[in-house]
Amino acid sequence: MFDHIHPLLACTRRQLFQDCGIGLGKIALTSLMTGGLQNMITSQTHAHEPASSGYLLPNGGKAKRVIYLFMAGAPSQLDLFDYKPELTRHEGKPLPKSVTEGQRLAFIQPDAAVLGPRFEFAKHGQSGAEISSALPHLSKVADDIAFIKTVHTDHFNHAPAQLFVNTGNGVPGRPSMGSWVTYGIGSEATDLPGFVVLTSGATLSGGTAMWGSGLLPSSFQGVPFRNSGDPILNVTTPKGMDQKSQRDALDAIKSLNQQRLSRQGDPETATRIAAYEMAYRMQTRVPELMDTGGVTKETLDLYGAEPGNAKKAFANNCLLAKRLAERGVRFIQVYHSDWDHHSDVAGGLKNQCGTTDQPCAALLTDLKRSGMLDDTLVIWGGEFGRTPMVESSVVLGRSQGRDHHPQAYTMWMAGGGIKPGITVGKTDDLGFKPVEDPVHVHDLQATVLHCLGIDHAKLSSRSGGLNVRLTGVEEHHVVEKLLA
Amino acid sequence: MRLGVRIWALACALYLTSSCLVADEVNFRRDVLPVLSGTCYACHGPDEETREAGLRLDVREAAIEAGAIAPGDSNNSELIARLFSDDEDLRMPPAKSGVTLTDQQKQAFKKWIESGAVYQKHWAFEKPVRPEIPKLENSSAANPVDQFIAARLNERAMQPSVEADRYTLIRRVYLDLIGLPPTPEQADAFVNDTSANAYEKVVDELLASPSYGEHWARSWLDLARYADTNGYEKDRERTIWPYRDWVIKSLNDDMPFDKFTIEQLAGDLLPEPTQDQLIATGFHRNTMLNEEGGIDPLEFRYFAMVDRVATTGAVWLGMTTGCAQCHTHKYDPITHTDYYQLFGLLNNAEELELDVTPASLKQRRNEIDIQVQAKILDLEFQYPAFQGDGPEQERSWAAFQTAFSNWKDKVAGSLNTWTTAKPQTATSNLPYLEVEQDGTVFASGDFTKRDVYTLTFNLSEYQQPITGLRLEALPDERLPQRGPGRTFYEGRAGQFFLSEFTTTVDGQKVAFDPGNSMAVSLSDGNGSSGVQPAGDEIGHRIQYVIPLAQPLQPTGTLTIEMLFERHFVAALGKFRISVTSDEKLRSPVRLTEEVETAFRQPEGTRSEDEETTIRNYFLLTAPELAEARKPVDKLRNSKPAPVRTLIFRTRAKENPRQTHRHHRGEYLSPRELVTPGIPEIFATSTEKPPHDRLAFAQWLVCEDNPLVARVAVNRAWAKFFGQGFVTTLEDFGTQSEPPSHPELLDWLACEFMTPTTDGFKPWSMKSLHRLIVTSAAYRRSSVVTAQEQADDPSNRWLSRGPSYRLSAEVLRDQMLASSGLLTQKMYGRSVFPPQPGSVTDVAYGGFRWNASTGEDRYRRSLYTFSKRTTPFAAFTVFDGPTGENCTVKRDRSNTPLQALTLLNDEMYLEMARHAATTCKTDQPVDSTMTTLFRRFLIRPPGPEEVSTLVAYFQTQRSRIEAGEINPHEVTGNKDATADLAAWTLVARVIMNLDEAVMKP
Repeated sequence: MFDHIHPLLACTRRQLFQDCGIGLGKIALTSLMTGGLQNMITSQTHAHEPASSGYLLPNGGKAKRVIYLFMAGAPSQLDLFDYKPELTRHEGKPLPKSVTEGQRLAFIQPDAAVLGPRFEFAKHGQSGAEISSALPHLSKVADDIAFIKTVHTDHFNHAPAQLFVNTGNGVPGRPSMGSWVTYGIGSEATDLPGFVVLTSGATLSGGTAMWGSGLLPSSFQGVPFRNSGDPILNVTTPKGMDQKSQRDALDAIKSLNQQRLSRQGDPETATRIAAYEMAYRMQTRVPELMDTGGVTKETLDLYGAEPGNAKKAFANNCLLAKRLAERGVRFIQVYHSDWDHHSDVAGGLKNQCGTTDQPCAALLTDLKRSGMLDDTLVIWGGEFGRTPMVESSVVLGRSQGRDHHPQAYTMWMAGGGIKPGITVGKTDDLGFKPVEDPVHVHDLQATVLHCLGIDHAKLSSRSGGLNVRLTGVEEHHVVEKLLA
Repeated sequence: MRLGVRIWALACALYLTSSCLVADEVNFRRDVLPVLSGTCYACHGPDEETREAGLRLDVREAAIEAGAIAPGDSNNSELIARLFSDDEDLRMPPAKSGVTLTDQQKQAFKKWIESGAVYQKHWAFEKPVRPEIPKLENSSAANPVDQFIAARLNERAMQPSVEADRYTLIRRVYLDLIGLPPTPEQADAFVNDTSANAYEKVVDELLASPSYGEHWARSWLDLARYADTNGYEKDRERTIWPYRDWVIKSLNDDMPFDKFTIEQLAGDLLPEPTQDQLIATGFHRNTMLNEEGGIDPLEFRYFAMVDRVATTGAVWLGMTTGCAQCHTHKYDPITHTDYYQLFGLLNNAEELELDVTPASLKQRRNEIDIQVQAKILDLEFQYPAFQGDGPEQERSWAAFQTAFSNWKDKVAGSLNTWTTAKPQTATSNLPYLEVEQDGTVFASGDFTKRDVYTLTFNLSEYQQPITGLRLEALPDERLPQRGPGRTFYEGRAGQFFLSEFTTTVDGQKVAFDPGNSMAVSLSDGNGSSGVQPAGDEIGHRIQYVIPLAQPLQPTGTLTIEMLFERHFVAALGKFRISVTSDEKLRSPVRLTEEVETAFRQPEGTRSEDEETTIRNYFLLTAPELAEARKPVDKLRNSKPAPVRTLIFRTRAKENPRQTHRHHRGEYLSPRELVTPGIPEIFATSTEKPPHDRLAFAQWLVCEDNPLVARVAVNRAWAKFFGQGFVTTLEDFGTQSEPPSHPELLDWLACEFMTPTTDGFKPWSMKSLHRLIVTSAAYRRSSVVTAQEQADDPSNRWLSRGPSYRLSAEVLRDQMLASSGLLTQKMYGRSVFPPQPGSVTDVAYGGFRWNASTGEDRYRRSLYTFSKRTTPFAAFTVFDGPTGENCTVKRDRSNTPLQALTLLNDEMYLEMARHAATTCKTDQPVDSTMTTLFRRFLIRPPGPEEVSTLVAYFQTQRSRIEAGEINPHEVTGNKDATADLAAWTLVARVIMNLDEAVMKP
């Protein structure tokens, strides 16, 4: 988050205090006092030091920040990106047992009939990426994007699968990707959180654990921007008081805390003085961030954004993500839900794409024209895919939908360190399983860290006898084909 | 003899720390074992799967046999050759491991082999032996704790700080023992008490206070991962607060830690367990429940079991068992099989609910029942009257008589003659079906999303051809919401969904009447169509009558197969099959079993009770009486719901749950069966290794377990001092940092189990806490000089008093108490203090946080509703847990978001406002300021502090008077004066001071 010390710095400092059990908090203070480090340090505990300090890649990373557009509920890859005409031919017939064997299904039975793609597909751009007609805006920026058609995951239910993509584990309690990243390389923002969470649509299955810090210090958890009331909880001075009265209060607090510091000598007091000053700076920075008065109409129209209009929440969040990125925020999670199309997948996608297609494309365009796409990694995708088989149910009143499909789905990445205009991975003719270049969720996470200059295998924290990593204990690999 | 001396020397050396390493002594445990286990065991340790070159170094004999170690002869030890080798291909550890040993480490190996290569168990796996209390000439410490600490300070030539001033001391001990501050009056009384035992008197009062249990319960609830919701996607409310209340009561009663442990892990297995002992088993019911549609319920039960093993390991063993879930532990002696044996010890329990409705509530429910009965009788005269003349009541009565009589005829006419068919066999895919004496079938055990029950009947038991079948779904107290179904997540509790009902006789399908649509849907081969209870049928009996297409001749074997298929568990929990030979089958009228039995008595032969049963049923169900019944319904709805809490109950002997080893820890990869048991390293040093949950719990807290007392006292120590002797409270394994004060840790552990101190009761947590807080170490001043800070930044050697940030809950409770808002109400359903509505906007399914009003708004923080996926924001920001995992140690961060919370959160503003209302405006500002300051910080302020605050007060008051600050908005009071608003602002400043958020 915004208020932590770079662990590497902590490590080098730690050499001085070896065997002293010194915590990050105390070291950070030294930096603060000398004014050498803008970031503020927070943790007073002692068990959270990186197990290894060699996780930074020698040549660094091309991405300085991440905007992760998380499409919660699982968009249907078969109707958006992974075109399978064979499904049309098989429509209405069940898949052979040999194909469905071993597949764990949430709602339907393995003998459910095949459902063909619900939209027309066409090739776009010089790269010739195949994209469905549901995504007209994205089609125009296809050449900036790398599509990964063979992402596969370990979970087939929403909450565990969302947690898996966000934290590398299906059960709550592990650090989220944004926590790892800010823990690993800090943040450039000095008066905003380093890890921000934006949400739109219905609520999220994975819950707040998706941006939790797990076993890392709690100051690395994502800070949600709220859709009502204060954008950051309690960032507004209570009613009746003005900025001067807040400043007066802080001055009185500071003066009394300094008196205590001189009596007591506890560095924790100095850290608290600094924390209050940073809180004050946030109180002025956040309104500046949220004030879109200076944004041109052309830009608003590009995104389809209307600040203040809840119906445009996703477009507004994409614009806000860009503004956060401009202000040095390291990791920006943009969650958008309602992709869980168990029934009427065509209608559902039409609505969702209507809401999200233009803003996603606009974000890429806007980043590119501001020269930020080169060092901003943009990720788009859900927690799993959807079945080639139809979902219908008398008791649930469902028809023409698709069930959960963990074995292969499409995500895309663009910008910071990613090769544009490519497609990685190929699924079989029924879109059931990868046949070329399968990409496990952990591989994808390894790639994200790589783009940021972090070796996923080495960034770890010791807990419960394990060196816990985002990418788990098994061997996983950076997807080299994706790299620019 | 020489050997004996050496072992003794080693044992002593164990307790020396690196700073006093005696040059030529090598200590296996300190110098060799951590390197051996941390660096070598991954490839040459207990895990067969990853073992390289067939060499294991964790077993002395094996290492010798392999030539790696030649005791006394390092030149002939391959291990030494490899460690010192210049050849990169030969050198160990290999380059790819990225580990390089220091020369000192390598020399230690050499010396160790030279001295005979004696292996010893890691210190924490040996039972603690009570060390001698160090006798220090220059120490007058009465408390043995201080002798040990002084010995360590002397070694380091460190001076302990002086005792803290009395105001600091009393605030510290109040916050530590009861989680609340003293009042300024209580503080003054202590400060002015000149008796020698003034402090001890305060300590004893606090230990006896009910607030003690509330405060310490919170720490235990962190371990128990207590929460008021199920977790995961839906995160619905659950009722398990009776368990939370049990913890509070047990701590207040100073239940010994051994009993406290046994009741929580195995209370249900104690002889004739009390209700409290059953409630205690809620400890392991605090695991999460995934209610998401479409999950595999057994997979999430498996995850919950993994959590139970990890939690048990962390809380009682200080062992990180987690890695052994997937493979044999790399450096601690827990094999993959050990892990699943431990798993097996906890695995054989049913997860049930227990009715724990308090007596007062039961009485209230009875009273309402009686009132309802009385009101029902009146309904006879409220039936919609016939048109016509005469008194309305008479016409009404007549109308009732007619309708009642018609209804009775209808019901009587709907009754077929049914004979219960008792199955010969009852089997299923997984659930355990038990055929009871009366022919009913009860299903227990584990359930899936697709359960199939197969029942067989001997048709020759019947005389007549069978024309129809009846399935009765029956309620039972053992089922969720009394059943009849087994649904316990996602769908409505107690529901079921019967997809298919297939009958065959000797392999030939028996067709149903094609004119009966229900029968058709039960035999259409479509799993997504079928029958389920209506909402108001949950908890009641339901009948389904299936007419056959052709009468069935009474010979051969009838097989009934029932399929229950939904995206959640939807099997029947209790049911009965009956057959009829009646020619005409009628659709059953909905009746309770009691009413139907009464009806089966021919009219005129029924008892008075039976007649009443029938009449009351009519009065309560007749649609014509709906309007008249409203007051009755209202009364019935006012009946307080019974309280049911979550418990463990061991499974039926006939149906034990079997535990397998799971390859790579994966749920889908079960391998061979394992026998429940404790890891071998412990099993070999106890007389009767446990094989069931009760014996396991008893073993955990017996003196044969080397870890439990150390782990418990270390955790308690950390609560007072901010860190334990062993800093990893949950990990005492070979890779944990050695304890700072090993002798003190062991002495406290022994004292905890078999006390020698006056008044110390065995396993008494209060005695332990008393011993700690009466030590001089605890009472020291926390003032720190720059030199001390540099020498011992984390106060590891305890020269200073403990001072650190208050926990989220203590912080709020302290502010509530100081502002005068705190309410004393204990126990019961959790409450909802105010927080911004946007916090729960992200919660699944439109959950709304409706802030409590009245006293519930201001209760102690441990009663705050704990919602796992959107925890109370003001706690999260101060490192409060989510309840998703066992939290052994909380973080203590110091962030700008905390500043924003204390400055701007409405909840804290409300406290500042209330504190301001106590400020007297008819007295000098200085004096009022002192009073307000002391409400929060207890001690009297210094003159500089008063002048800073008074200056702030004056400035704010002038700005209020100048209209620059709105006093009404600041105070939330339209009649507020400038003074009240200014005092509110001052209170807010005081509440934000560093001192206010820190234990002093």
